[in-house]
Parts: sequence; structure tokens; C-alpha cells
Amino acid sequence: MKLDTDTLQRPISSRIRFWVIAALMIAIYYWAIQGMQFEGLQKTAGSVSKSILTGFLHPDWSFVYIPEGEDLLRGLLDTLVISILGTVVAAVTCIPFAFWASSNMSRQWAVSGSGKVVLSIIRVFPEIIVAILFIKAVGPGSFAGVLALGIHSIGMLAKLYAETIENIDPGPEEALLACGANRLQVLRYAVLPQVIPQFLSYSIYRFEINIRSATTLGLVGAGGIGTPLIFALQVRNWNRVGIILLGIILLIILTDLVSGWLRKRII
Amino acid sequence: MITFENVSKTYPNGTAGLRNVNLTIHEGELVVIVGSSGAGKSTLLRSINRLNDISAGEIKVNGKSVTRATSSELRRIRRDIGMIFQSFNLVKRSTVLRNVLSGRVGYHSTFKTMFGLFPKEDVELSLHALERVNIREKAYIRSDQLSGGQQQRVSIARALAQEARIILADEPVASLDPLTTRQVMDDLKRINQEMNITTIINLHFIDLAREYATRIIGLRAGEVVFDGTPAEATDQVFAEIYGRPILQDELLGVGGVS
Repeated sequence: MKLDTDTLQRPISSRIRFWVIAALMIAIYYWAIQGMQFEGLQKTAGSVSKSILTGFLHPDWSFVYIPEGEDLLRGLLDTLVISILGTVVAAVTCIPFAFWASSNMSRQWAVSGSGKVVLSIIRVFPEIIVAILFIKAVGPGSFAGVLALGIHSIGMLAKLYAETIENIDPGPEEALLACGANRLQVLRYAVLPQVIPQFLSYSIYRFEINIRSATTLGLVGAGGIGTPLIFALQVRNWNRVGIILLGIILLIILTDLVSGWLRKRII
Repeated sequence: MITFENVSKTYPNGTAGLRNVNLTIHEGELVVIVGSSGAGKSTLLRSINRLNDISAGEIKVNGKSVTRATSSELRRIRRDIGMIFQSFNLVKRSTVLRNVLSGRVGYHSTFKTMFGLFPKEDVELSLHALERVNIREKAYIRSDQLSGGQQQRVSIARALAQEARIILADEPVASLDPLTTRQVMDDLKRINQEMNITTIINLHFIDLAREYATRIIGLRAGEVVFDGTPAEATDQVFAEIYGRPILQDELLGVGGVS
């Protein structure tokens, strides 16, 4: 009999919940629209949109390769190098953070807790902000971009690494301890073999994210394809913007294919 | 020789794991520890290499106190004690040989072992250990490709490569089928006899205990309630150890194959 009353009651309570949530959503939308100032479209909106579109349809092929430099290929190569270096910096430096933050590697709860807090703080800053900070510190250019990506990626990678460490099978650790291994040897022979493939896979995934971020780093002067892109945007050279965006799309598709294949091989 | 002197273990929540255990286990014995689950079999076994600490008393292995050993002394003692687990505890992604070699880490400096390279003699020793349990040809295969019985034999080979003088086996056959159970038990028995390695096995199959042991120790609520030869361990005795008549699932039920 209990089942019957359940099926009778559930629709009513869920219907009430639906309307409460719907009313809340409408209230939030109304409040948000109130906050936005909309003063109509610019008079030139139509003609500018048309020239952007024609620019994209007629990309500036001459920009692909310029013997003197500062062309599309070199910009993309720069972006690729920045994201590879940034990922490598992060993939290595985040290992100690990961062990710090994983709860099964330390007896005190406070140790792993503080590690997790530090990682969330690192994750708070968007890479553009980190990049601007590094430009001020080490000057504009690719090096600032590498550092920005590296530091920003530590936050996410170390968190994923730490979760991997927390999920390992504790059995081999016990077996190694019973063989007379010390803490470092347990780490080397029972923990590392279990986590390294996952670490690599996460790093390659992070590389996919980093190459997308690296294309925008140049907008603030941290090297890569973003620099010619922002110049072309500022002088409304839509043909050049078109070829740069095309190049970025191709680069990202290619790296996704390669890294997806690599990750499948590792796991 | 392993000696227990007035060993007691109380868990933080107040339950008693071991109560005033006094035992002497001589070299070359094949001791099987029996008792219902929760009787303290695992606690007893794991306190020999101090994977569990004890609350009172002292355990000595070949005259050296395990209880009062410093961490480096303890590692030295553990090096001579191989351990076999119910769940095999192999690194599944690593090759069989790699797992067997990991038993050798206690013999080398931390610095050397960090590079993962082992001397040629260690590799030969490990291959020889695999030969003893008849899976030499699996040396370069990933461990998770092997069946349960084969994985358990890899962990026996790990203990052999360790050149252990004592083997502790905590329910080594609990996750195996009856036929592989017998193969693993035969391996343990053969190693015990051929190499004179003191072997202590926790089992819950009483017919296996009678068949393989040279000495049976019965535990009940953390106390040693029986200590004698397999011939002395009658059904009546087992009923007393378990505090109830023997159940059908406590018998493996497959007669001797060989």
C-alpha cells in the first residue's frame, strides 16, 4: 500500500517544485535584463558585419608565409611551442603539489586540506590575468606566456593528479612495505607505476586546453598568434583576421587529433 | 623461529584483536591458522611483520624484537619475511617480472632503486623464482593479463625473489576456485619442504588445513584455543574453535588431485 501513496503524492510535490524553480528563473532573468543597458545597434552595424564576412570569405593568403618573418606559420609555431612548454612546466611542477593535496599520502587531514586550498587559489586566476602579471614581471613575449600557462595549469593538473593518487589500489603499497621497502621505494614501485599513465593522459588533455588559451595570450602581449590577430583586428584588416582564424582552427583540429590518438595509446 | 610473548592487541574502538598469545613457531614448520572471521587470524599474521602494531607483549623473529625495532631495523627484518595476500597486491599495469623484482628493493640503496634498474643477478633470481612456480614464460606479460591463480603464483615468486626465510600468507586462496586453490597450496607446500621456509597460512577451509599443515593453531576471539597436529584437529576440535558445528562451506570439498 505504501507504494500506491508514493506514486500519488510524488507528482504533486514535484509539480510544486517545478513552478517554484520556474518562478525563480523568471525573476533572475528579469533582474539580469534590468541590469543591462541596451542603446540600440550602431548605424554602421550592417556594413561592418558585411565587410567582416567578406573578409573571412577572402582570407589574406599572402600572410601565410612571409620570408622576413611575422607571418601566420611562425605565429602558429610560436603558439604551439608556448603551449607545449607551458604544459611540460605544469606537468612536472604539479607532481609535488599533487602528493601534498592527496589525502592518502599524509596522515594528518590538515596537510592534504591545505594543499587543496592552495590549488583552488591557483585555479582562481584566469590565464590572461596571470599572463599580464608575468608580462609586468619578465617583460612581454613568449616566455611570459609559457610561465602564465604553466602556473595556471598547475591548479587543474595537480587536482586531477591528486584524485588519481587517491584512487590507487593500496594493495601494492602494503606488499612493498612488507618486502622491507622504505617510503620512497614504496612511492617508486607501488604508487608511480599506477599513476604515471593517468598523469600523462591528463597532461595531454591539458595541452589541448592550453593550445586554445595560447592563441589568446598574444592579445595581451604574451607571444604567439594572438599578437598579429589583435593588430589585424585593430586596423580592421578582416582578410588577415580571416586567415589567422582559419590557421588557428586548423592547428587546434590537428593537435586534438594527435593528442586524442596519443591518449588512447597510453591508457 | 618466531616467538609471541604475552601478545595482546586492542583496537582503538576497544575490541580485542589478540588476547595474551604465547606461541613459538620453529623453522621449517607449515603452520595453518584457523578460526571464524573476526577471530584475529589476520591480526596475528600481520603483527609478525608489524603491518599491525600490537598493544602489549613482544614478538621476536629469529631472536630480534619486531616490537621494539627501529624503522630501519624493521625494514631489515621485513626483508626476510615474504607476504602473500588474498588480493595478490600486484601492480596490475606492470609486467610480471617487474612485480617479482620489486621484492628485491630492500637489498639496494634508495638512490639506486629510484632509477628502476636492477642488477643482472636480481633478474636471474626473479626468473628462477618464476620457474619454481611454473610461470617462467609469463615473465614479460602485464600482470592483469593473468588468471587469479597465476597472479597469486607471481606473488609467491615475489616472496621467493626476496629470498625470504619466512612466508606469511593471509587467506591466499580465498579468491580462487577450488582447482587453482589446490595448485597454489601445492606450491606453498613444495616451497616449504624444498627450501625449508617457515610458512604461516591463514585459511578458512578446514579440510585444506588438515591436508597441508604440519601444525594447526586455532583462534577464537583473539585467544589461542587449539595448538596441535592435523591428526589431533578432529571435527570435534574444529567445532570448539568455531564455537558451533562445521558448515559445508568451510570444506573445500575437492579431494586430493595428486
